[in-house]
Amino acid sequence: MSYTLKIKHVISELQDFYILSIKGLCGVFRKPFYFKDTIEQMDYSGAGSFLIIVIVSLFVGMSLSLQLSAELSPLGLEIYTGKIVGISIIRELGPVIAALVFTGRVGAGMSSELGSMMLGHQVDTLRVFGIDPIKKLVTPRIVSALIMLPALTIIGNAVALLGGYYISVYVGHQSGALYWSAIREELIFENIIAGITKPFVFGYLIASICCYVGLSTKGGSIGLRRSTTKAVVASIIMIIVSNFVLSRALLYILGFQI
Amino acid sequence: MIVFDRVSFSYKQRQVLKETSFSADFNERVAILGGSGEGKTTVLRLIVGLIKPDAGRIFIDGEDITDKTEDELRSTRMKFSLLFQEGALFDSLNVKENVAFCLREYTKMSEENIDRKVMELLKIVGVEHAIHLMPEELSGGMHRRVSIARSLAACEPRMFLYDEPTSGLDPINSDNICKLILDLAKNNTGFIIVTHKVSDALKTAQRFMFLKNGMLAFDGSKKELMQVDNADVKEFINV
Repeated sequence: MSYTLKIKHVISELQDFYILSIKGLCGVFRKPFYFKDTIEQMDYSGAGSFLIIVIVSLFVGMSLSLQLSAELSPLGLEIYTGKIVGISIIRELGPVIAALVFTGRVGAGMSSELGSMMLGHQVDTLRVFGIDPIKKLVTPRIVSALIMLPALTIIGNAVALLGGYYISVYVGHQSGALYWSAIREELIFENIIAGITKPFVFGYLIASICCYVGLSTKGGSIGLRRSTTKAVVASIIMIIVSNFVLSRALLYILGFQI
Repeated sequence: MIVFDRVSFSYKQRQVLKETSFSADFNERVAILGGSGEGKTTVLRLIVGLIKPDAGRIFIDGEDITDKTEDELRSTRMKFSLLFQEGALFDSLNVKENVAFCLREYTKMSEENIDRKVMELLKIVGVEHAIHLMPEELSGGMHRRVSIARSLAACEPRMFLYDEPTSGLDPINSDNICKLILDLAKNNTGFIIVTHKVSDALKTAQRFMFLKNGMLAFDGSKKELMQVDNADVKEFINV
């Protein structure tokens, strides 16, 4: 394929992705509403991911606290452990970790399920029945990601902070009261907004990317493998890139000094 | 009436239809024959607007559907019942839910009436005993039958479109599906059956088309098919 054709192909894919993601979101405001499908997706993505998020967040919080205690204690700065754990988890690590876990479990599932429906002509069947596949398949997945990822992030943050507390107090022998007071100091409006905005954006990106890639699946089982991998990789890259962009934008908007 | 006016279609570099023209009435029983990759399934997909032709026009009931959007195509699609190869049942739903799918989608029928209607449709296709099974628990023949029942629930089609309805089935099951196809055509509802099994085409259709190298190499009755001069068609039906 020549470079011109490759560029055209990329532009056309971006255009298709843009249309699908916008249509998928706008489906929320257009009849028919697929409540049952949305609830099913929320159950799959939310309840199904709960335990994984709890385990991952707990160990991330514990590791972070352990490293900070080891570095800060010799300098007599252990009082900052809670503060740094709080900022890191609430503003950065919590939303990113939850989004990465969500991509691995839910995003890959979305992509492979839709890809398999494409290959089995189930999506074409919907079209023949006069049902809009974007409304039926994409909108419930976007809505469920928009609701469940922020919820999972909040739970994950709480668990990570608890993990940090356990290590600071029982391994680092610091004061629990001091740890929580430092955390409370960080639970200000700006930090909460910064931490809560990200999961909405990540959820929308993950669901849109994975649905788009899934619905573009071609070429049998190899095509399905390729599209699932592509969906996960593209989502992870977009999470990391958009996290930086959002951090920069939110710091500016919320008036943090750099 | 379905009209193809010099329709061409390619998959990337491979041209599967080259300025193909034909017309068919909704009550006709047509079989499209041809080898693998000759564009038989493409014709069905073009009729319901799942794909757009590269060139030429397609008319359904006098209406040009070539450039219609997905929303505009909805009414055209409801005139047909397309049975995909292997059935394309929704694999997350059981047989009952698959058949009830369109009833739930388009009607406000009570659960009791949906149950009754589903049972009625499953009885027509002879798989009422499989009502609670999941698609992966069905045999190939049952799969096709449930798929037919589901499409009957979706609408009252003016024409059935069958894409290789008997592929991968044993002779007895193939024969049963052919009988079902004929039963459903009794009330003057026509069909287009795409197949590479000449015996199934002969059992069901009255008009035969043969696609070769993207062109319509033959279009005629059973009698004409048997006396055909075209070497490709002759070889295909004799083998």
